[in-house]
Amino acid sequence: MSAGGARILVVDDEKQIRRMLKAALEGYGYDIAEAASGQEGLSQTSIFHPDVVILDLGLPDMDGIWVIERLREWTQVPIVVLSVREHEDDKIKALDAGADDYVTKPFSMGELLARLRAALRRINRSEDEPVLAFGDLSIDLAHRSVTLKGEEVKLTPTEYEVLKYLAQKAGRVVTHRQLLLAIWGSNYQEQSQYLRVYIGQLRRKIEADPSQPVYIITEPGVGYRLVTRD
Amino acid sequence: MKITSKTFFDRPLKNYGWAILSTFAVTVVGRALTPYLDLVNIVLLYLLPVLVSAVRCGRGPAFLSSFLGVLAFNFFFVPPIFTFEVANVQHLFALIVFLLVALVTSTIATKLRDQMRKATQREQRTLALYELSREIAARTDIDQVLRTLVDKIAETISGTVAVLVPNRDCGTMDQVSSAGGGDLFGEKEYAVARWVMEHGQPAGKGLGMFEGERSLFFFPVKGEDKTLAVLGVRPRTDDASLSPEQRQMIETFTNLAAVVMVRLQLAKEAERAKWLAESEKLHRTLLNSISHDFRTPLASITGAVTSLLEERDIYTPETRQMFLHTIRDEARRMNRFVENLLDMVRLESGTLKLNMKWCDLQDIVGVVLREARDILSGHPVNVDIPPDIPSVMADFILIEQVLVNLLENAAKYSRPDTPISISVSVMGKEVVTTVTDAGHPISGTEREHVFDKFYRQDSLKHISGTGLGLSICKGIIEAHGGRIWTEPSPGYGNRFSFSLAISGELTERGNS
Repeated sequence: MSAGGARILVVDDEKQIRRMLKAALEGYGYDIAEAASGQEGLSQTSIFHPDVVILDLGLPDMDGIWVIERLREWTQVPIVVLSVREHEDDKIKALDAGADDYVTKPFSMGELLARLRAALRRINRSEDEPVLAFGDLSIDLAHRSVTLKGEEVKLTPTEYEVLKYLAQKAGRVVTHRQLLLAIWGSNYQEQSQYLRVYIGQLRRKIEADPSQPVYIITEPGVGYRLVTRD
Repeated sequence: MKITSKTFFDRPLKNYGWAILSTFAVTVVGRALTPYLDLVNIVLLYLLPVLVSAVRCGRGPAFLSSFLGVLAFNFFFVPPIFTFEVANVQHLFALIVFLLVALVTSTIATKLRDQMRKATQREQRTLALYELSREIAARTDIDQVLRTLVDKIAETISGTVAVLVPNRDCGTMDQVSSAGGGDLFGEKEYAVARWVMEHGQPAGKGLGMFEGERSLFFFPVKGEDKTLAVLGVRPRTDDASLSPEQRQMIETFTNLAAVVMVRLQLAKEAERAKWLAESEKLHRTLLNSISHDFRTPLASITGAVTSLLEERDIYTPETRQMFLHTIRDEARRMNRFVENLLDMVRLESGTLKLNMKWCDLQDIVGVVLREARDILSGHPVNVDIPPDIPSVMADFILIEQVLVNLLENAAKYSRPDTPISISVSVMGKEVVTTVTDAGHPISGTEREHVFDKFYRQDSLKHISGTGLGLSICKGIIEAHGGRIWTEPSPGYGNRFSFSLAISGELTERGNS
């Protein structure tokens, strides 16, 4: 695993968590800086210039959502929220405020690492690579074609747009609202039943068993994620 | 229907006038008939106004009518006419007999009339009481009972009625309901009401105590050992008093209301006692749960971690790996406990909010299978979901929680390697999801209780659990308006199913 010495800022008021994250992430070759409060997190971001920020929402001095909003005023640095708040509303709020992903405590290190890699990929890879490949599934953006195990999959234009959007944000969670906004426009932000229908159709075309999907997985109450296997 | 204090004394002039007029009319008729009738027959005519007065107007007018009849008959008919002299002894005798007959019949007729009037009043009172009891019996809280009582009494006596209940917090009395308009209680009246409350005796004009100038009456609403409330009654006019009938009626009404209030209070206390017992049980179970179900995984984790921290390298890489898996699995188990406890507290406190959205059960099952991978390890899982299952309105995360609990139970109470299956089907207007295991079948009597809070099957007490999982499932499904049940599996094992209503599937929009 070459992390290329990517710089990660950990903003969490729990010392135990910071210590554990620092040890584990440094083991993977990342460069770690710590912040124990929202204020410190904001100032560290401008000093340390991290490639990813890991942010706890329950900070002693301010709400994490507010930190996300302040950061988004001037930087597009990927933010991965790491919080004990498990309610879907909290997740949606953080993601819609500009966070890139959300991991609930207690978390497995493997999951957090996967999210960090997905977040880092966003800055390393341009979003209009001509061909996106995920295991047996590949999407050729130039030709608007999708193949599964080398065979072409017939998708309707809307199904293709949904898949393309998820693929361009592969590995990261995409909220219902973000997807609806990108594909149907601002009038359909609350119409998550459209999404449900199209995701169901897509799964029937690209998943071997739609009951146990391996590409498009549901993030309950929040949105969807196209899984990358890396 | 009104019971009023208007007896014949209320309209005396009219009644007496009627007695005079009718006697006069008979005289006129009598004079006209003189050529055709004997004097003895004419005297009988005079009995008519006497009887009618007795029945219609009471004893006074009847007596007046009797005496007037004697005088008129004497004056206009008995020779010498137009004098009060009586020439014939026979005629004198007839006059005396007439007077006696008139007085006796009018007395009897009046008595009859009074009895009839009383019977009517009794009937009205019974009817009013019946109506009140019917209305009160339907009430489920004490305030409503008092409100009904107040309305009913105000309606029956057509006056102002209000009720005061003691405020336990600050020792004062609060007016909870009033009818008929107008402010009933001033400073002084509150003092009287407090006295009535303390002594449990009525007060007011004619009732012994506190005979104020305003006609205001207080009645205690008496429970078994204490006064529950005080009723203040003011008839429509300030100087009016309450008739004994009205008083009796008010007392009957308040007694009835008191009985209902005592019953409601007892029911409330019983409910509270039950709630207390349950919350005590909850606390006890929580303590047990924390001490046992949390400590067990903690013990495994601590054991594994301290082993790994040993300086000497005595463990093989496989053993170390085993320790690490133990730590991970036990930590996850603890997390599930916490989730269930939180859900239960939310269900108990009523703060569980359903986030209803259109959901596909296939989608939910997919998420659950990902999440429950380590719970199900070892058990082959069969999934049977036809592609045309309609969507349901549900809270995705809570239904997911229900399915995880059902799968966890299925895995926990059946031998490893035995299959577990999940199937979804449409039954009528519902989507039914079923989890089938090959565990030891639950006995008939236990089947009825498995969804009860804290219930654990006796034969399975050795397997750790809180007895909360299924009761949470039940709470969640019922909050969705669905049903959850269990039945033996046709083969060997148990089936747990829950249903969710199909409520108007959205039509899928054509591809744009």
